[in-house]
Amino acid sequence: MKEKRRELYLVLVLAGLLFGLSAFCLLKEPDSYSYTERRVLAQFPAPTGKKLADGSFMKEFEAYSQDQFPFREGFRHLKAIAAMKIMGKADNNGIYFLEGHLGKLDYPLKPKQVQYALERIENIYYTYLNGSQEKCYLAIIPDKNYYLGGEHGYPILDYDTLYQTMEEETPYLQHIDLRNLLSEKDFYSTDTHWKQECLLPLAEALAEAMGHELLAEYEVKVAKEDFYGVYAGQAALRVKPDRISYLTNTTLEKCRVTSYDTGKAVEKSIYDKEKLMGQDSYEFFLSGADALIVIENPAAEGKGELIVFRDSFASSLIPLFAEEYEKITLVDIRYINPSLLGQFIEFKDQEVLFIYSTLLLNNSMGMK
Amino acid sequence: MLFSSIPFLYYFLPMVLVIYYMAPKAWRNLILLLSSLVFYGWGEGRYLFLMLGMIFFGYCFACLIQTARKKQRYQWAGLCLFLSLGLDLAILGYFKYADFFIGNINRGIGLSLPLLNLALPIGISFYTFQLMSYTIDVYRGEVKAQKNPLLPAAYVAMFPQLVAGPIVRYSSVEEQLKDRSLSLSDTAVGIRRFILGLSKKVLLANTLGECCALFRDTKEKDMLFFWLYGVSFMLHIYFDFSGYSDMAIGLGKLLGFSFPENFRYPYTAKSITDFWRRWHISLGSWFRDYVYIPLGGNRVKRGRWLMNLTLVWLLTGFWHGASWNFLFWGLYFAVFLVLEKLWLNAWLKKSAAFARIYVLLTVMVSFLIFDAQTISEATVNIKGLVGLEGKGLVSTESLYYLRSYSITLLVAAFGATPLGGIWIKKIRERKLGDRFIAGIEPLVLGVLLLTVTAFLVDGSFNPFLYFRF
Repeated sequence: MKEKRRELYLVLVLAGLLFGLSAFCLLKEPDSYSYTERRVLAQFPAPTGKKLADGSFMKEFEAYSQDQFPFREGFRHLKAIAAMKIMGKADNNGIYFLEGHLGKLDYPLKPKQVQYALERIENIYYTYLNGSQEKCYLAIIPDKNYYLGGEHGYPILDYDTLYQTMEEETPYLQHIDLRNLLSEKDFYSTDTHWKQECLLPLAEALAEAMGHELLAEYEVKVAKEDFYGVYAGQAALRVKPDRISYLTNTTLEKCRVTSYDTGKAVEKSIYDKEKLMGQDSYEFFLSGADALIVIENPAAEGKGELIVFRDSFASSLIPLFAEEYEKITLVDIRYINPSLLGQFIEFKDQEVLFIYSTLLLNNSMGMK
Repeated sequence: MLFSSIPFLYYFLPMVLVIYYMAPKAWRNLILLLSSLVFYGWGEGRYLFLMLGMIFFGYCFACLIQTARKKQRYQWAGLCLFLSLGLDLAILGYFKYADFFIGNINRGIGLSLPLLNLALPIGISFYTFQLMSYTIDVYRGEVKAQKNPLLPAAYVAMFPQLVAGPIVRYSSVEEQLKDRSLSLSDTAVGIRRFILGLSKKVLLANTLGECCALFRDTKEKDMLFFWLYGVSFMLHIYFDFSGYSDMAIGLGKLLGFSFPENFRYPYTAKSITDFWRRWHISLGSWFRDYVYIPLGGNRVKRGRWLMNLTLVWLLTGFWHGASWNFLFWGLYFAVFLVLEKLWLNAWLKKSAAFARIYVLLTVMVSFLIFDAQTISEATVNIKGLVGLEGKGLVSTESLYYLRSYSITLLVAAFGATPLGGIWIKKIRERKLGDRFIAGIEPLVLGVLLLTVTAFLVDGSFNPFLYFRF
């Protein structure tokens, strides 16, 4: 009798759990979007004859059942806790947590990706800049792993080889090394990007290497108190949010920003407050990484032009150069084919800066 | 459909259990068959009719064999058995081995015959062997051919053991197919076994499989990484397959069946002979009963016995996959089994510690051969263990992964021994301990189920090795 009671208790608890969650799965209204993971969630697939026959319905249903599982965020958090705190894994889905920072493992060095990035840079140089520009620079932004992971035994890129390869393969560019100008504190703890309010020393050093001097003073303002970066969603761990601060002064407020992302000129601003409510609040800076953005500073008339080939890191850095240039053109060749650039930019004697993060150089197939 | 998937756990299984438990007893085999067809069709719809066709022919041949036996026309019975086995093996050979032979013929005599590039029907090696055992047992008179086609169909297609075993003999479930009851006790045992198997698979096997995948993706490997991979893979494959067998046995209990055990702590074996009595028991006993003993077993002259043994182990290797490394894997075990029977057993009995280390190392190396795509890859991985391949002794990467997977490795190593079960048994011998275990067990199993669900919801690494067999 005692044994029967035990068995009944066991069956009731576990069957209750199984059937309870099953009922939730059947009854739950599907969600359309995951804000933490920044992606659209799979919906119930239409069971067409073709999909049933080729098995794609089953695959889509599996994705749907995972994406729409009840209490999904809670389960993702439970998995992260179980993997990292109980099973002792050093990372969850490639995201690690160290010294209050989330970082993402990105290694080993992928020579083919680096080579591809070099080809893309070379293509731009020989198409638009060959011989006519002397002031062409390359600055590589080390990602957070460089400062955070290596010292603590996490596998990291072979940064020395990456820097050396980039330098050797682009003898036509002047290289500016940024590695000693940053630390892990200069990056958001939950995101891949750096904090603008920490970038002034780096901006000054970079400008100096390009023959300029940045003298402007800025006021630091807070744009958002609870910024959860891209790693926060991927890690599924409970972490403290970051704060997005920004640097501003009257010069920046008077700058005109025009985006040609759709081919037509659209007026924007240095800081886009609407983006703070969007899926990626870092897009607050220059409204995100548009294909082609022009910053014009009427107060710097006659001071020359700068063309920047860049990734998203530059969105928060380059506005700090506005005081030194009448016009800065930012080009993101992930979103525009370089063969079209001639339609928008007249290449003459501008200064040119290629500034890319190691993350992009090691995963460069998105460059066009 | 994988047992370790959300569609199975929270859609298919609850629905099937509700219908099955509510249905009258007489309908249960039909429900079992239909749900099994849905289960199989979900993952392998295009081969559903192949399996049904094979079941149909197996059923017909079994009836013909029995009729011939009744009429004492043994030659006819033999012919029917021959045709039945020939058909099963031809289909298995066509889907699983054709490209292996074509490739080798092309290489051997310089032809360029086109490869068939057929997708392997899931579970074909398992259900073909079940069908063959059924017709052989009917031929031997050990079981009667079933006139009701529903029973052999439900037997072969039964979803708990359809795609990855254990290889259940018809004789062991014949009575249960005809008459079985569902009890609270069996339900409790079944749930417990299923959740433990699911946890072994998802929490241990998948995590260790992830470590193995990282090793394969790494180009520059050091000696520590080779060892980490070797140990991880042997634990991964054990928990992967034994976890699946546990789930199958647990599901069988939930449906009123008792399936045979497939694993008995193989890594505690004291010889390779002992290891194979504990590893994939249903496959080993199949080859023993249907190949080795009919060939004469060990009751023949030494030369013939060696040939029998070698043949059986080559076939065992070949059953696992159509490539040279599987044949070599089988041969590797044949060599050790012969060595043990001729000389090594005496040495192994002298020291249990030595015997265990010998088994673990031998088995680890065997799984390096098993997991490799080619013989040369296996050679590289084996040489890596002794520092003849790779870069140095350790690297940041291998130390990182050792740190990252060390707890899982320790838990898995402990779980591969019977110590946990022994401790729980000892605790239960005391009244208070018994009460404690009874109170906490459902909660622990519940937490395990929720944790497994969390891993599945997060879309973690979830392959299953034995589906390819």
